[in-house]
Amino acid sequence: MFSRHRVRPLALAAGFGVLVSVVTPALAADLTMGFSSEQQSIDPLFSRTGPNQTAAAHIFDRLMERDEKGIFQPSLAESWKNVDPTTWEVKLRQNVKFHDGSPFTAEDVVFSIERAPKVPNSPASFESYVRSIKAMQVVDPYTLRFTSTTPDPTFMQNVGGVFIISKKVAENATSADFNSGKVAIGTGPYKFVSWTPGDRMQLLRNDAYWGPKPEWEKVTIRYISNDPARVAALLSGAVDVINEVPPTDIPTLKKDKRVNVINAASIRLIYIVLNQRDDAPGIAGLDGKPLPKNPYQDARVRQAISLMIDRAGIVDKVLFGQGVPTNNQVPEGILGYNPDLKPKYDVAAAKKLLADAGYPKGFSMTISGSNDRFLLDGDLVQGIGQLLARGGLKVAKVEALPYSVFSKAAGENGYGAWIFSNGNSAGEAGRGLESMLHTYDKDRKLGSLNRHSYSNQVFDKAIDAALDEFDDAKRWKLQADAAAIAINDGGMIPLYHQAVTWATRKGFSYAGRRDEATLAMSTKTAK
Amino acid sequence: MLVFIIRRLMQSALVLFAVSVVVFVGIYAIGNPADILLPDDATEQERDHAIANLGLDKPLPVQYGIFLGNAVQGDLGSSFVFNIPSIDLILSRMPATLELAFCALVVALVLGIPLGLLAGLRPGSLLDRTIVTGSILGFSLPNFWQGLMLIMIFSVTLGWVPSSGRGETGSIFGLETSLATWDGIHHLLLPAINLSLFKLSLLIRLTRAGVRETMPLDFITFARAKGLSETRIVGVHVLKTILVPIITVLGMELGSVIAFATVTETIFAWPGMGKLIIDSINHLDRPVVVAYLMVVTLMFILINLVVDVLYSILDPRVRLQGIA
Repeated sequence: MFSRHRVRPLALAAGFGVLVSVVTPALAADLTMGFSSEQQSIDPLFSRTGPNQTAAAHIFDRLMERDEKGIFQPSLAESWKNVDPTTWEVKLRQNVKFHDGSPFTAEDVVFSIERAPKVPNSPASFESYVRSIKAMQVVDPYTLRFTSTTPDPTFMQNVGGVFIISKKVAENATSADFNSGKVAIGTGPYKFVSWTPGDRMQLLRNDAYWGPKPEWEKVTIRYISNDPARVAALLSGAVDVINEVPPTDIPTLKKDKRVNVINAASIRLIYIVLNQRDDAPGIAGLDGKPLPKNPYQDARVRQAISLMIDRAGIVDKVLFGQGVPTNNQVPEGILGYNPDLKPKYDVAAAKKLLADAGYPKGFSMTISGSNDRFLLDGDLVQGIGQLLARGGLKVAKVEALPYSVFSKAAGENGYGAWIFSNGNSAGEAGRGLESMLHTYDKDRKLGSLNRHSYSNQVFDKAIDAALDEFDDAKRWKLQADAAAIAINDGGMIPLYHQAVTWATRKGFSYAGRRDEATLAMSTKTAK
Repeated sequence: MLVFIIRRLMQSALVLFAVSVVVFVGIYAIGNPADILLPDDATEQERDHAIANLGLDKPLPVQYGIFLGNAVQGDLGSSFVFNIPSIDLILSRMPATLELAFCALVVALVLGIPLGLLAGLRPGSLLDRTIVTGSILGFSLPNFWQGLMLIMIFSVTLGWVPSSGRGETGSIFGLETSLATWDGIHHLLLPAINLSLFKLSLLIRLTRAGVRETMPLDFITFARAKGLSETRIVGVHVLKTILVPIITVLGMELGSVIAFATVTETIFAWPGMGKLIIDSINHLDRPVVVAYLMVVTLMFILINLVVDVLYSILDPRVRLQGIA
């Protein structure tokens, strides 16, 4: 009798022990991640937006890969040299195998690059990455020679961003064939297992991977778009890592012993632009009557507005610290960063500049922005509105709209002053500066994101020269100088670089990435 | 009855046409899907390219004409976002939603009618007041808050059930369903309860009101005089009488549970149609929104039809010609 009483709890404990010992090794080798947004397709060339590239990066490799700091590093391309300004000779990595065991060669690169602009119904193809290629020549299975249409120092960064698929299996394949897994065969660190849209994607480690072997054998990526639900999934242990931690939860999570919070300053810039058109809307005199001249055309007014913005205050109070105040287009460490451009907050100086420009009591204006595109954008518009009012302007209206509505109107002269975000995918300041601030020129395809019609001949010349320079150090200097010309002129008003936040359960660590990607490869067991 | 059904189906074609026009124009007025599908740093050329790819470069009436021409042949277009036929997309999400909706409905029925009967038969008692107060909570607390509280209590604090997602599915009679696996049922519990709370409260109140209205009626007194047992009076005669309004409401509720379980599906990351429609609206994925609303409209029409037919079976006084 006595012994039976004692055996039971023991047997139970032993049973649990077995259970735990069975479960734990499986947990150690498996990883479940909770993502806020989902890819549109497994076809890596279907769309180049963030969630698509994140999914593809697990399965496919590119010629060049961004490291955690946002700098391009050789990947399937082992080395390259610039034979002359328009000719590039690329040596490919040898002994790389696709998931089906077939070898990776130059033919696959040519096939992938040719397919990039031609994916049917693609809403955001990789066409811009390969546009400057004039010709491709296979010298031998591991050597490729590219000719570019114009001298382009960033040629390799662009072409290097195209995901490489297998010519053998993907010839004539459709995006649907990738989704079903039939041709989802790359050279990447993970093999595709399955994708249930709206629910999850499953991956299996590629043990024959040429690069560093990831730690997790099986990876499940779950799509949990609702913020509180994603956090709850982490807290309940259903997922090990989540991305896009809601900023309002960060202070509580940081105190929680069960989780780690990881922060990285991204390359994404949040900035204000001021409409330079003669008929820019949303501006009026203090009496509500139209002004004879658009005040935003006066550089002093633009500089004054920049001085009114307390960037550190905005980041601290509105964003819960989730940003790095800036007066640059790119963060420190990225080519084109100008250390002399520092955020300045000086309301008195702003008021003086306004008075010099002929608006001693300010004027009436509207500030607009999105409310569902990036972290706390709706709150940001309100915060900026208050700062502008404090700075001496009469803020008649603050509008925060869904991005689908906002972006359309922003492109059609719908606003006077508005806030936008820009995720720099080029790896340096130059291309971003050009598309945002160069005088709009449809034929030369310049200033394509210059929705506010800013035009400054001095800057145009400077950025043109900066884009053509092949020497990295010189190009950095030229781009930094060009940035100073436009930003000191108020061509745009940089606010901050958004921080990206991940959270993991205890026992896991994540190496935060500047390009905002959430990768199984960047997740490790915490030491 | 056949004439009635045919006439109903013909009316539905008109309704479907009207729905497609409204959605088409509405989404066109909101914005351009290309702006949302493109990355921030897309060039103008890329934008033009995307717009042409999606067929959005043509004037609206032409776009609608193309849509209508294809729709008549059974092709409702491909999703802008996923590039797969929108009907396939909707149908692939349907089983998850249907199983969630039916489970929620079963929970509501199994608990709601007995609780409503109990409350209605003993009005004013402590039991009645407890049930009615409970139903007020079910009614008035917002659905998303209830969902989050369920997650906080049962997943995060107690750790009994998973907080989100659909579990493993198995097959029963060839149907892919979570009910076939323990893991699936585990995942289904919280969202089903969350979705059922409102219907549960509604059913309690409807049943209770029906019972209170019916009990004093003459035919109950006669039944009692005839010596019928109380169980038979309540279980057969009362229940049959009060079922007509309950079925009406239930029909409508079933439709809305299937079509618009959006809040529950979003909070529990349930890969169903409700989540699909809200994501599609946010992406201005017009083919999916149009197809979705047409499917939903059709479903409502069919449910109403079934409800009308059920009336005539339950209540011999109802003649279908009269309703049409």
